[in-house]
Parts: sequence; C-alpha cells; structure tokens
Amino acid sequence: MVILLVIALTLYLAGAFYSIYTFATKSKRPDRDLKLIIGLGFAAHTAAIVAAWQEAGHFPVVSPKEVSSFIGWAIAGYYLAVSRRYNTRALPAFLLPLVYLFMFVSLLLPARAEAVPRMLESAISASPLTQIIFPVHVTLVIASYAAFAVTFVCGMMYLIQERELKAKRLGANSERLPALNTCDEIGYRSVTIGFVLLTLGVATGIFWNNQRDGRYWHNDPKEVMALITWIVYLFPIHYRVTAGWRGRRAAWMSIAGFAVVILTWLGARALGGYHVFG
Amino acid sequence: MGSGEKPTPSPLPTPHSPLPILMGIVIVGTSHKTAPIEVRERLAFAESRLAGALRDLVDREMISEGLIVSTCNRVELIAATPKGAHAPENAVSRLYDFLSRFHQYDLSPMRKHLYDLAGPAAIKHVFRVTSSLDSMVVGEPQITGQIKEAFHRAQEAAVVGHELTRLMNRAFAVAKRVRNETGIGSSAVSISFVAVELARKVFEDLKGSAVMLLGAGEMAELAAKHLLNYGASRLLIVNRTFENAVALAGELNGEPVRFEEFEKRLPEAEILICSTGAQDYLIHPDQVRRALERRRNRPMLLVDISVPRNIDPAIGRLDNAFLFDVDDLESIAEANRAERKREALRAEEIIEAEAEQFFRALAEGDLNAVIGAFRQQVYEMAFSEFERSRKRLGDLSEDQERALQVMINAIVNKFTHPVIKQLRESEERVVCGVKARLPPDRIRPLHPPLPAN
Repeated sequence: MVILLVIALTLYLAGAFYSIYTFATKSKRPDRDLKLIIGLGFAAHTAAIVAAWQEAGHFPVVSPKEVSSFIGWAIAGYYLAVSRRYNTRALPAFLLPLVYLFMFVSLLLPARAEAVPRMLESAISASPLTQIIFPVHVTLVIASYAAFAVTFVCGMMYLIQERELKAKRLGANSERLPALNTCDEIGYRSVTIGFVLLTLGVATGIFWNNQRDGRYWHNDPKEVMALITWIVYLFPIHYRVTAGWRGRRAAWMSIAGFAVVILTWLGARALGGYHVFG
Repeated sequence: MGSGEKPTPSPLPTPHSPLPILMGIVIVGTSHKTAPIEVRERLAFAESRLAGALRDLVDREMISEGLIVSTCNRVELIAATPKGAHAPENAVSRLYDFLSRFHQYDLSPMRKHLYDLAGPAAIKHVFRVTSSLDSMVVGEPQITGQIKEAFHRAQEAAVVGHELTRLMNRAFAVAKRVRNETGIGSSAVSISFVAVELARKVFEDLKGSAVMLLGAGEMAELAAKHLLNYGASRLLIVNRTFENAVALAGELNGEPVRFEEFEKRLPEAEILICSTGAQDYLIHPDQVRRALERRRNRPMLLVDISVPRNIDPAIGRLDNAFLFDVDDLESIAEANRAERKREALRAEEIIEAEAEQFFRALAEGDLNAVIGAFRQQVYEMAFSEFERSRKRLGDLSEDQERALQVMINAIVNKFTHPVIKQLRESEERVVCGVKARLPPDRIRPLHPPLPAN
C-alpha cells in the first residue's frame, strides 16, 4: 500500500513540475502527456485507498492523514474530469502542486494508533444503513471541497487576468492564463457542482444523525460551519441566476468561500465536537 | 579472381564528385533586405508565366530540380544540381543567366541586390525563409503558405524530385516546430490584430459573438474583418448616415443599424469597435452600464480607434467592460513586437540545429549508399565465382550447399569489414562550417581489377 502511495506521489510530483514548466514556458502543445501522468497517479492512488480500506476494515477517511490524502485524490480526479473538456495549461499548474501538497502532508502525518475513535465506531455501526452512509457522506463532502478548490483557483486566475486587461497590458501572465470567460465558466460550473455535492453531503449527515439518535441537528461546530459554507456558496449561485452576478464579484466570492471551507475543515476540528476526526 | 569477367556496371557514385549531394542545393535570390522595390518588381515572376519559367529553369544538365518563390517581398530560385556533376559555382551562374535571360534584364549592375548560396548555407536559408525569420514582419504566417504554394506549382510542372522534396518537407516541418515552440507568431503586432487578441483574452472563443462597428475607417473595418475571420458570427454596422451603413454592410456582409437604434442594439454586441470623426464622446458610462445590465453582466470589449476619442474613458472603470483606445492598442502591439524579437532568437537556434542535422543526415545517407554499394559489389563477385566452381563440384547435398553459402557470406563480411569500419570511423570533416562524416572524396572502382595491395 505504501508503495502505491509512493508511486502516486512520484507521478503527482512529476505532473506538478511538468505543468509548472509548460505554464512558465507558455507551451501551446496539448496536454495529453500530462493527463496520462496524472491518470496513472490517480489510478495508483485509488488502488492505495482501496487497499487501505481492506486493511483497516473501515472507509479510510478518518484520521487527518487519511483525509488529507483523500482530498488530494478528489482534486486529482476533478482535474482529470475538467481536462476532458478544457485544455488549459494554467489550471493544472495551480491544482497539481495542491494535490502534491495534500499527499505529502498525508505521508508526513502519523498514522493514529487507535484506528477509529470509539464514538465514530458506534456511529458507523448503529445500523446497516449507517455503515453505507459513512463513506457516502464523507466522499460527498470532500468531493465538494475539491470542486470549491477549483472554483478558488479559477477565481484567482480571473482576478489576475482581469487586472492585466484593466491595466491594458497583455504581458506574460495574461498569455499564460485562460480567457476571462473560460475562468468564469469553469469556476461557475465547479461551484455549482460543489454546491450540489455539499448539499447532498450535509443531507446525508443529517440523515445519519437521525438514524443514530433521532436528532437531526446537534449544533456541532462542524455542522454549523458546514451550514455557513453552504450559505456562503448559495449567495453567488443565487445572484448569478437572478441578477447575473459574474466576473469579478463572483471571483471574490469564490475566494471568500474557499477561506470558509478551510476554516470548516481545520477550524471546526479545533473547536471540538463529534467531528473530531478529519 | 574475376580476371576473365566482363565488368558489371558500377553502382558506385561517380568517382569524381568531390562532395556528392551536399553541394546539390543552390539558391539565387533577392529580398526586401537586399533590394528596393524597383529591383524586386523587375525580377518577379508573374503567376501566368510561372510554369514556363520552371520548365525553362530546369535544364536537367546543370539544374535537375527547381522551384521559384515569387512574392512582393522576395524572389528565390531554389534549385538542386545533378549528383556530383558540376561544381556549385556553375549552377549558381546558370541561375543568374536564367534570371537575366527570362526577364531580359542585365543583372551585372544589380549584383549587390542579389545573393547566392550553396550547400549548408542554402539549406539554412530555406529553413529561415520558410519559418518567417527573414520576413519584413518577422513571424508573419503567410510566407510559409506562399512557399508551399510555390512547391506545389513546381510539383505540377514536374520539376521537383527527391532532393527538393526532402528539403522542402523538412523546411515545412521546421517552420511548424518554430511556430509551436516559440512565441514568434503568437502575438499581434498590428493594431487591428491586437483587437482580435484582446477579444480572445476576454471571450476565448469568438463563436456566436456579435461585433458592432460604429462609424467607418480602414483600421476599424480591418479589425472587424479579422474578428469575423476568427469566428465572430454577426456584424452590426451603425452609421450616422444610414446609407453608408447599408453600403458597408453589403461589403462586409453585416447588418446595417440606424444610429437612433444604437443604444437599443448595443447589448447584443460582445465587441464594439468605434471609429468616427466626432469631436466628442459619443458613448457615455450610463449607456454601457445599462447595456451590461441587459447583458446580465456578460463582459463587453470596447475598442476606440477614433482620435479624438469617442468612448468616455470612465467606461473603462466599469466592471465587465474592457475599454482600449488607440494608444493602448499601439503600446500592446509595440510590446508584442519586442517579444517577437526575443522569440526570434530562440527560433534561430532551432533552425541552426535543424540545418546542421539535415546536413549531417544527407552526408550519412551518402556514406551508407557508398557502403551498401561496396558490399553488394563484393558479394556479387564472390557469388559469381561460386556459381562457376559449383558446376565442377558435382552433386551437392542441401546441407553442403547451405554450408558453402554460409562460407561465402562469411568471407565477404570478413573481407569488407575493415574497409567499412574505416569508412564509418573516418574523421568528421568540417564542410562549410558544419561538421559531418562524409564519404571519401574519391572512391576507386573496385572492379576490375581488385587492388592487389
């Protein structure tokens, strides 16, 4: 299993360097080779996660180590999906280092001695249904983080490109980055996908709560933060549909939203509650 | 051995060619860099006379293949000489003669406006010209197409063969490489093209987008044409005088719009190009703000080519509106020109390497041809000896027959090996500034008789 992770890590690193190189040199060649590298890395990573699942006997998204690796996996997968449609050199140059970073952090973090906290153990095994719900709930939420990460990157790219255009420069940065409409389009699609995933993730969480102890909501810090995240992303989508909010405003919203995502992921952990893991 | 045999025709290259094939490419030409328009126009080849000129050029004696590139900026005669038949100087003077004779024009006082090249220098020149490094606007893409066209014309006239086909195919591949690997042709260096570049920075794909042209003017019309070429699907033409709008719309295949309807139609346009003689701002921030609202904030690109300006610069501060005036366009074009110069240096490196590689491959091809012919000849001699003795040996079993065959092969290999090894390991020589392993200047015929020493 470790060997699979090392293979994935190596391929992600190669992909990250390669994409940064092509980004820096403003290469215009299609990124077929990059997709192949990341595709293989993703396959190795998937195999590693499946192996870890078998070994641990529970879905391996419990310890921070596992969660970090899983976020990297989700972003890599999301990149592969986006690259089928958009051939942009800039997106992987930002995303792949992020994937590598999550993977690297995951390898550094210690494996926890106690594999599954007792509270989680009882929550998972409350009923046959909750055993299925655990992987579904976690996968949905983390996949939404990956989509929001892409939205965040698109927002950044949009703001840089927009600043170049407003300054009436078409410098190297402008040449490397996708057109405004492309940043906006990928960003909006991603935020929509992320929002749907998050909604389903929260819904499965609520359902799970109910299965466990008949209460829908516990005011757990993570629950509250997730609700805030959900509302923060509801705004740009709502105003896009009703008032045509797009461009710079949407880009800033996506950056603010991602800050809340990071807070939800790491901050809620510091505040305690039953989402102590991950 | 072989004393009574009639000599078989030697497949070796003519023994007297000092540098076979390599010197086979010669060029005589003139370009915007060496000659004023008065000279170039006298030497240009009219489309209608090209086929005749090509047949005239290739006399099969000193010139075996040829093609003529004739554009407003250059005339190039690119020719190949028969293998090793003549020194390149003769072929070059033959090209001068042809040029002078064809145009009935005394070239002797014009020599300083013309250049001639042979061998590696000629190869490099072909690569540079095809890759648009020798163009007036470095990196402009038309020249590659023009040379392709010239090559097709020569093919139609059946005056190109193996040598020029190999050279030109390589030249087109090099041009493609230069375009892909350097930014030499990627940025716009004229104002009207900068508008296209800007549009693609905002919209990426112009498919389905509408361009509105307010007023008229050469530069504005050119920009509109470029935008249509790059995928814009609609052109709205607004003019104070509706008749002018109708006329221009007919010419550019657009839709005329009355000036009174300008504001109503403005939200339809992704791109507005403004070029009128008005002395004041025609377009105000409120108009654009309303248009953006109606567009649900989908971005707009506004290009103001008029002087004095017709679009209020305050519009540039609106979200999702991107405004450029003529100075902005010019400074972008200028920056792009500087960028092109830097990229041209990288392109020169690519061409240097490619020309050297091509030249070396030619030399290697020569060497392999010589070695192959040599080995073949020795084998044939040995085999014919075997055939003669074979009759006297009587019936042989299949095994014995095979054993003899193997022996002949082994003998040929052992005999030829030291010679081939020497050829392959012969020192690289510097020819015209390029290092290459060439076949020996003279190859003595092997047969008959095989040298005793």
